[in-house]
Amino acid sequence: MIETTKKIISFEWLTGPIFGKELRISSRRKRNYILRTVYLLLMMLFVVLVWNATMVFSPGKAGDYTYIASRMAEAGKYIITTITIFQFCTMPILAIIMLCTSISDEIYNKTLGVLMTTPINSFQIVMGKLLSKILQIVLLLAISLPLMAVVRVFGGIPWIYLLSSLCLTLTTILFTGSLTILFSISGRKSYAVILKTIAVLAILFGFIPALIAVIARSILSDPDGPPQLFMACLYYTNPLFAMHINVINMLEVSFPFSGGLYWPVHCIIMLGMTLAVLAITVKRVRKTALAQITGQETGTTKKKKKNALLNDGAELDYSNATIRSVKGCPLVWKELRTPIIKGSRKTNIIALAITITVLLITYVINHVQDALDESIFQEFYINVFAIIGLVTSIALSATTITTEKESRSWPILLATTMTDRQIIIAKAIGVFRRCLPIWLLLFGHVILFIFIGYLNKASFIPIFLIITYLIIFFSGTGLYFSSRFKRTTTSVCANFGLAIILWLILPIIFTIIGEITHKQTRFSSFNNINPVVQISSIANGAGGSRHSMESFSRLRFNWSGGKKSYSDSLVFISTTAVCYSSIGIFLLWRAKARLRKNIFN
Amino acid sequence: MIETKNLTKYYGSLAALQNLDLHIGAGEIFGFIGPNGAGKTTSMRILATLLDQTSGTAFIDGMNVNKNGKKIRKLVGYMPDFMGVYDDLKVFEYLEFFAAAFSIERKQRKSIVQGVLELTDLQGKSHAAVDSLSRGMQQRLGLARVLIHDPKVLILDEPASGLDPRARIEIRGLLRELKNMGKTIMISSHILSELEEICDQVGIIECGQLVFNGSMEDIRQKMGVNRKVRVQVADGQKDIAVKLLNNIEDIENINTENSHIAITLRETKKNEGIIAKTLVNGDINIISIEPEQLNLDDAFLHLTKGLVN
Repeated sequence: MIETTKKIISFEWLTGPIFGKELRISSRRKRNYILRTVYLLLMMLFVVLVWNATMVFSPGKAGDYTYIASRMAEAGKYIITTITIFQFCTMPILAIIMLCTSISDEIYNKTLGVLMTTPINSFQIVMGKLLSKILQIVLLLAISLPLMAVVRVFGGIPWIYLLSSLCLTLTTILFTGSLTILFSISGRKSYAVILKTIAVLAILFGFIPALIAVIARSILSDPDGPPQLFMACLYYTNPLFAMHINVINMLEVSFPFSGGLYWPVHCIIMLGMTLAVLAITVKRVRKTALAQITGQETGTTKKKKKNALLNDGAELDYSNATIRSVKGCPLVWKELRTPIIKGSRKTNIIALAITITVLLITYVINHVQDALDESIFQEFYINVFAIIGLVTSIALSATTITTEKESRSWPILLATTMTDRQIIIAKAIGVFRRCLPIWLLLFGHVILFIFIGYLNKASFIPIFLIITYLIIFFSGTGLYFSSRFKRTTTSVCANFGLAIILWLILPIIFTIIGEITHKQTRFSSFNNINPVVQISSIANGAGGSRHSMESFSRLRFNWSGGKKSYSDSLVFISTTAVCYSSIGIFLLWRAKARLRKNIFN
Repeated sequence: MIETKNLTKYYGSLAALQNLDLHIGAGEIFGFIGPNGAGKTTSMRILATLLDQTSGTAFIDGMNVNKNGKKIRKLVGYMPDFMGVYDDLKVFEYLEFFAAAFSIERKQRKSIVQGVLELTDLQGKSHAAVDSLSRGMQQRLGLARVLIHDPKVLILDEPASGLDPRARIEIRGLLRELKNMGKTIMISSHILSELEEICDQVGIIECGQLVFNGSMEDIRQKMGVNRKVRVQVADGQKDIAVKLLNNIEDIENINTENSHIAITLRETKKNEGIIAKTLVNGDINIISIEPEQLNLDDAFLHLTKGLVN
C-alpha cells in the first residue's frame, strides 16, 4: 500500500526514469545556466525600462509624495504587465528550442528502439521528455516570482491577473512543447523543427484567424469589424488573443471581456488540444521506436520506402532514376542540388502554388476593401516578406557547416583539394539560393505594385540595398557561427541571438541611456539601423497611391529622430549597407580562417 | 613514403601522441594496431592534414604535411572511421562530386567513377541514394571515394569495422589488389587477424607511444615464435617422449599441454630436425610436428600493457 502510494506520488507511472535522466543531462549543460542568467538580465532590463518610463521621467512635482505613490502603483502595473508579456512571448520559444531534438536525438542515436526493449512505454517517453523541459521552464517562471511579489507591494495589480497570466503562459508552453515533440519525430535537423513549429503556430494562431476575420468582415460588410461570436471563438482558442485581452482587462476594466472567467475555459481548451497532440505523438513515437528496433523504416515517402526495401535485401530497379552531372564548382553544385524544401519536386510546386494563391487572395480581399492604395498595406506586406526572408537567412546560414559536421561529412570534404575560399563562397551561394524564393516574392511584390501605381519606384533601390546587406551580413554571421560551433542548434541560436541583441536589446539599452541623459533623439536613432525599421520607413514613405506618383525630391520618410528626404534616407541606408556588408565580409573571412580548426571536436 | 619524426599531439594536458617515429616505404601495407584511444586515429588525421600536431614533423612523399596541405591532399586518400554521407546524393553523384572536388576534369570523371565503382563492386548501386546503402556498401563506397583521385597513399581508419566476415574478406582482397597497383596503405584495425595476412609492416601503439614497429618477421623474432615447436605423439607415449626430449641440449623448455608437447628451442627452428630424429630413434610414433603459428592477438597482448589514455 505504502509502496503504491509512493509510486503514485513519485510520478514514475507518468514519466518513468526518462524524467530523471533528462534532468541529469540538463544539469550538466552549461547553456542552461547561461540561459537562466540571460533571462534574468533581460527581465531586469525590461523592468528598468518600464520603471524609468513611468517613474523617473514622468512629469510631476519634485517631492510630491502622493503623486509618486500613485505613479508607483502605475509603474507596478506596467512592470507586472511587461514581465507577464515577456514570459508569455519567450517561454514558448524556449520550449520549442529545448524540445526540438527531444525525439530525433533518440532516433538518430538509435536509443529509441532500445528504450522499447525496457518496461518503459512510449507515453512515459513523451511525458518524461515534455515534463522535464517544462519543469526547467517553470523554474524560470519561478525565478521571477520574488520580483513580482516585490512589485505587487506597489499596489494596483489584482491576483486574478497574475493567476490567469501564469495559466495562459503554462498552457501555451504545454501546447507548443507537445507540438515540437511531435515534429521532432520526423525532423532530424533542429532548426527545421524550430521553423516548422513556429510556422504551424503562426498559421494556427496568426494567419488563419486573421484571414477568417478579414473574410468575415468583407462578407458581412460590418464596418465595426468581426462579429462578437468570432471574437469569443478567438478568445477561447487563440493564446495570443487571450493574453492580449487579459492584459487589456487589467489595464482597462471597461473592456467587453472583463469580469468573466474566460481564461479558465481557454486554458481547458488549450489543454485539450495539447492532449490531442500528445496522443498523436505517443502513437507515432511507439511506431517509430518499434520500427527502429525491428530494423524497419517508418517513413511514408518514396525514398524511405525504397530504403526499407533495400534493408530487406530487395534489389531495386534504378534504371529510371536520374543522375545529375556535376557542373562547375562541386560544392556550389551540391548546394544547388539540395532541395529548398525537403520533399519531392511535386510537393515543392504545390507549396509554392498555395503560397502564391493565398497571397493573391489577400491582395484581392484588400482590393475589395480599398486598402491596396494605403501606405500601411505596403509597409505590412514588405515587412512580412522581409521578416520571413530574414528569419530564413538567419536560420539557414547558421546551418551550412554544422549540418556537415553533424552528418560527419565535414572531414571528408576538407580532405579534398578544395580550398577554404572555395568552400566558403560555395556555402554562401548555397544560403543565398535557398533564401532566393522569399526575396523573389518580395521583389515580385515591389515591382508589381510599382507598375500598378501603389508604390513609388524610388523605393526599389533602398529596398534592394537593405536586402543585399542582409544577405551579406547574415551569410557572414551564419557561416562564422556555423564554423565555430559543433551543433546546428547552438549556431542557429547564436545567429538569432545576435539579431535580437542588435535590433532589440541594444535599442532598448540606448533608449534607456537616452532618457537618462536627456538625449532621447540621439540615442533613439539607433533604432534606424534595424532593417525592419528601414523597410518600414521606405515602404511607408513611398507606399500608397498618394506617394507613388510624387517626384523623388518631394518624398519624405519617417525615421526615429525626424523626417528625412529621399536622398538623405538613401545615403543613410547606403552607409548602413556598407557597415553591415563589411562586418559580413569580415566574418566570412573569419569563418574561412576557422574552417580547419576543431574539425573533430 | 610516409615518415614521422617525434610526432606529438596534446589535447589539453592529455598526450594523445608522444614522439611517434614511423617509416613506411612506398608500396607497403602498414598495419596500425592499438587499443581504443591509443592515438591511431590522431596520427592518421595529422597525416591527412586534418589535425595539427603539437610538435614533431610528418612527411608524405618527402613533403611536410603542415606546409603542403593541398599537395598532400591530392596525394592521399583518407577514409575516416565513420562514413560521412550526403543525404540527397546518389552513389554516382556522390563519387562524381568528390571527383570534381579533387579537380578531375569533367570529361574524365564519368569513366573514373565507373572504374572505381567496378573496382569496389558497386556498379549495381550507382543510382541508389547514398544514405540508403547498408553498412558494408557504405564502407565500399568510402573506399571508392578515396580511390577517386588515384592517390599514391591510402590512409584507412578501421575500414573493416562493423562488416560481416564475407565483406571483410572482400575488403582484404581489395586491399591486396590496391597493393598490387603500387599504393602505399596505412590501415588501422581492431581485427588483428585481418592485418596479419596483408600487412608488410606493423606498428603497435599504446598510450600515444609506439611500442613496436617492424615487419611480421620482426614480431616473430620478438615473440620467440620461431623457436617454438608443438609435437603430438601417440597415446601413452607422451611421458617417454618428454624424457627423451629432455636430453637434447638445444631445447630450452618443455611444456605438456593436453595431447601436445610445447617445446622452446634455444635458438631458431633450424634445430627442429633433432626433435624428430630423437623421437624416431626412441620408437615414438609421431603424429605431428609443427612450428607454432604467429598470432597477432598474442603479440598484441604481449607487447602492450593494457594501458588506456
